[in-house]
Amino acid sequence: MAELMTDIPVGTGEPKAFYVPLAIRTVKNLRTCLRWAWLDIVCHYRRSRIGPLWETINVLVMVLGLSVVSSAVIGGDVSDLIGYIGLGIIIWTTISALILEGMTTFVRNAGLITTSNVSIDCYVGRTVFRTLIVFCHHIVLYFLGLALLLVPLSWTSLLSLVGIALLFINGYWVGVVLAFLCARFRDLELIIRNLLQLAFFITPVFWKADLVVSSKRAIVDYNVLFYFIEIIRAPLLGQVPPFTYYAVAVGCTIVGYIIAVLVYQRMRRQLAFFVA
Amino acid sequence: MTLVRLTNVNVRIPIYDSHALRLIRLPAFGRAKVGTQAISHSGAVLIIHALNSLNLELHDGDRVCLIGHNGAGKTTLLRVLAGIYPASTGKVEVVGKVFALLGNSMMMNPDATGCETIKLVANLFHWPEERMAEFIRDIEEFTELGEYLSLPTRVYSAGMQTRLAFAMATVQTPDILLIDEGIGAGDAHFQEKAQARVQQFISRAKIIVLASHSIQLCRAMCSKALILNKGTQDFFGDIEEGLDRYAQLRDGPA
Repeated sequence: MAELMTDIPVGTGEPKAFYVPLAIRTVKNLRTCLRWAWLDIVCHYRRSRIGPLWETINVLVMVLGLSVVSSAVIGGDVSDLIGYIGLGIIIWTTISALILEGMTTFVRNAGLITTSNVSIDCYVGRTVFRTLIVFCHHIVLYFLGLALLLVPLSWTSLLSLVGIALLFINGYWVGVVLAFLCARFRDLELIIRNLLQLAFFITPVFWKADLVVSSKRAIVDYNVLFYFIEIIRAPLLGQVPPFTYYAVAVGCTIVGYIIAVLVYQRMRRQLAFFVA
Repeated sequence: MTLVRLTNVNVRIPIYDSHALRLIRLPAFGRAKVGTQAISHSGAVLIIHALNSLNLELHDGDRVCLIGHNGAGKTTLLRVLAGIYPASTGKVEVVGKVFALLGNSMMMNPDATGCETIKLVANLFHWPEERMAEFIRDIEEFTELGEYLSLPTRVYSAGMQTRLAFAMATVQTPDILLIDEGIGAGDAHFQEKAQARVQQFISRAKIIVLASHSIQLCRAMCSKALILNKGTQDFFGDIEEGLDRYAQLRDGPA
């Protein structure tokens, strides 16, 4: 047993004493992660003429396109659909970024992981915060929608903050688990990429959940991703999401972090070998 | 107190490559001068025996250079000391704050400027906020990079990166400083400055482990030598004796 692991408590030997320092360190490092993510974004835009606007424009184009297609295929007025679809796309983009970027975190940072002893949760935090910053770019479109009266404004909207917090808190553990697994099993990345594409179509992002025939409701009822979308989208559209959605999200958080700790414990020491 | 103690440390590096077993057709590792002693496999995973039953004890004030052929395990040993690689068996005890200066690890984001990199490193390594101004001044002075500190680090030459990385690594005296060969990229003037800085630190009783192929650099910076040969310890002791021994090893039969 190595006595020194920069981010595994040294020499305590007692596994029960391991979780608390791990959690404390991870939380303490969050501020650093945010700064690192911010620097990433700043550097990224430095060489682009309109910088941050690109993020917003990309999503805007996607939203307009899908709204038109959706109203043409499923029916309904574009101005009725656009709020629902727009928020759906914004949230979906975030979910997919959390998964896609999260799973490649360690592979992308291989050079740093094998040469420095920066505590590894910094890499995960960096990815999650970067996604959060990009999300903030996209949410500008929501305010644009408010100004154009495409989405209603009410006190219920504030409830979405809870949903956003839950989404990113879950994004962190997903990042930890996937980053480790994808560093070790490189095929996984390709499989997840594929599945995520499929998930976009079976999740009610740009179509309404009540359109599904009752015999096939399962694809919505058991779709956790839909729950995460709804706890953000529904309040912003002035509806209070069912309590079960929150319960499921909180359940995911708890189970997720347990899995993350187990994966960390099992794979942390080998990480440099996985990415070397 | 600063201490490094390795007891019977073995490091086995698994190579996760779905076609790894093909590599094993390479002939005669035993005869090769370069590389490690053995490669084995467990299932589909190739395993490099990078370090074998290593015993080592370093105390305050020890400045050790690691010498050996390419692939002898120098970098692996540094990574073990930095806590990047775990020991497969045996015990690694490292007491003290370790700073690893391996490769260009300090260039956290190539698009960030020198100044931004310094601030980021300060964050990542928890430098005390109140002394930041002093640290930055010190780094500016030491690196002599001038206005280059406002340019992205990707435009720096290897030597300039080395200057910045070394300055950041030593601005707060670490208890244990690990340096890989990269430091050789700096020019003569930088080498002198670096040596002076290392001397300073040693008076404060710290440990330095340096891996280098430059005999000159080893002599200037270190008092002890550790020779690695194919992952095993060949010699550990006084630097001059070590260098003689290494010369013999290099000229003699493998």
